[in-house]
Order: sequence, then C-alpha cells, then structure tokens
Amino acid sequence: MPVKAKQPRKPQQAERTIRKSKFQADLAPTEDRIVRGLKQELELGSNTDFLTEALALFRWAVWERKRGRRIFSESETGERKELVLPRLERVAPELTLPRVEISWTPRELESLAALVGREPAAPTEPLIRAMRG
Amino acid sequence: MAVLFRRLEEQDELESFDCGDEPLNNYLKRHAWTNQQKSSIGVTYVAADEAAPRSIIGYFTLATASVPRHGFPKKYVRGLPPYDLPLILLARLAVDRRFSGRGLGHALISEVFKIALRVADDVGCRCIITDAYRDRADWYARYGFVPLEGAAAGGPQRMFLDIRTIRMALKTVVRKNSVDRDSSM
Repeated sequence: MPVKAKQPRKPQQAERTIRKSKFQADLAPTEDRIVRGLKQELELGSNTDFLTEALALFRWAVWERKRGRRIFSESETGERKELVLPRLERVAPELTLPRVEISWTPRELESLAALVGREPAAPTEPLIRAMRG
Repeated sequence: MAVLFRRLEEQDELESFDCGDEPLNNYLKRHAWTNQQKSSIGVTYVAADEAAPRSIIGYFTLATASVPRHGFPKKYVRGLPPYDLPLILLARLAVDRRFSGRGLGHALISEVFKIALRVADDVGCRCIITDAYRDRADWYARYGFVPLEGAAAGGPQRMFLDIRTIRMALKTVVRKNSVDRDSSM
C-alpha cells in the first residue's frame, strides 16, 4: 500500500493575517451626533479611523497622567484650563509631596525671578559631599 | 552610629525629641503626623538610630509649591518658561541637641537633595526654597542656598537653591567615582 507523504499543515487564517477585533458600541443619539460631527470636522472617513485617532489621544492622556503630569489647555492670553477626568486621576501616581501655598513679597519674587533666569551656580564643596553620601 | 532615614510613622517616639527650639519641637510632636497623614500638607522624613529605630533624632519636612507666572514682575517674565514655577519647600529641618555636632544635619540635608532630585525627575521642580532662621542662613549658604532679597524684617531669611546646581553636584560625584574606579584598575 503506497504511503502518502504528509502534507505540511496550511497556516491558519489567523496566523497569516493580523487579527483584527470588532468594536461595537451603543451610543445615545447625542453621542452619535457628536461622533458624526467630529468625524466630519476631522475628515475621518470611517468609524475605524475615528476610533484610532481617539485611542491615540486617550492613550497619550493616560500616559501623561501615569507619569504624574497634568494636562492643560492654554488660551492665547495665557488662561489655562486643566483637564481632570476621574478615570484619568485613577492612574495618576500619588505625588511624593503634598502641595502648599507660599506667600511672597514683591521683592522676593523679583529676586527669585532673577535667580531662576540666570545660569545655575556651580555646586559648593559641601553640596558635592552631600551628594556623595 | 548607623542612622536610618525614612518617612515619619505613627508609632515613632517623638516626646523626647529636643532640638532646642520650641516651635520645631512642637511641630514634630503635635503637627507633623497630622499634616502628613490627614491634611497632606507636608511630608516629614526622620532620622533614627538603627539601635533604637523608633526614637527620632532629627527630621525635615518637605512640600511642593509653585509660583504663578503672573506673580513675577513683568520685566522678568519674558526670560522665564511659560509656566508656573514648580518648587520644593524645605519647611523644617532640625537635629536633636544630644546628637548635634555629629554631622546629622549634613546627612539630613543630603536626603533633602536626593528627594528633591527624585521629585524633579518624577514631576518636575525648579528649585528648593527654605525659610531659614537668620542665624542658620550661613549653614544653608554653605550648600549653595542663596538668600532672596526682600524678606520681611525680623522674619526668617528665604533662600533659594537651583535644582540644576544639585544635578551638577551629582554629576561631579558620578564623574569622580568613575575616575577613581578607572585609576584603581
């Protein structure tokens, strides 16, 4: 009886192509309108493109908060608004140190501004020794 | 004597601490724990003898703060980064009298600098500010703290140390260590 050589197994479809997942969401009419509006504004052709862009932005925001950075928008006049989302705050690390308010005299602020604007001073010998320990 | 540095803990024995200054003693005994744990307005780090780890022999308290950009005089604003200026406040530093003259103050301020660098790396900060007693200003100046002009008469002397200066000090140490290592090979 002739022996049939075993054919190498064909790779499965999933092994040959990158697996893509479907993402389905139930949106309220208002949210649906927002999505459509944003897609139009940003000239995004499909829901997939929309999700990819939104994901990139969300991922960045999460990453920034994870590193303890805060996210602001700034107007032309310097007015700033902070983005605070309860979900994002969950990933923010607990700051090492709490925050306090300090009062300053105008002269102190002037002196501080002058020092901050300058090149840093060279470290003193005791400071170098302190960093050695 | 081997000294441990860590955050203040509730079980620490503080009643015997005496640095010779009542407000500093009182802060440690009455307020440091509450401010750290409940109000979150300052973290206190303590030094303890390894042989008696609950008995505190020195401490310092740190917090963060910032100076709003609009608070600076207009003529300086242009040269500054377009953000509020983040800083670390070294609010208190004290050594128990029984342990003074043994370099504990130096060891405590070393810890301050290390924490400051860590905070600067983690969340950003530009300088350390401290309000030094006038008769202690020279001690801080040895480490490079610069007195700010304009402090209220009779009050403490506000002092500034640039975080970049601390980084330079660390780099100097790292460079020197690598040279020492190379020359010993």
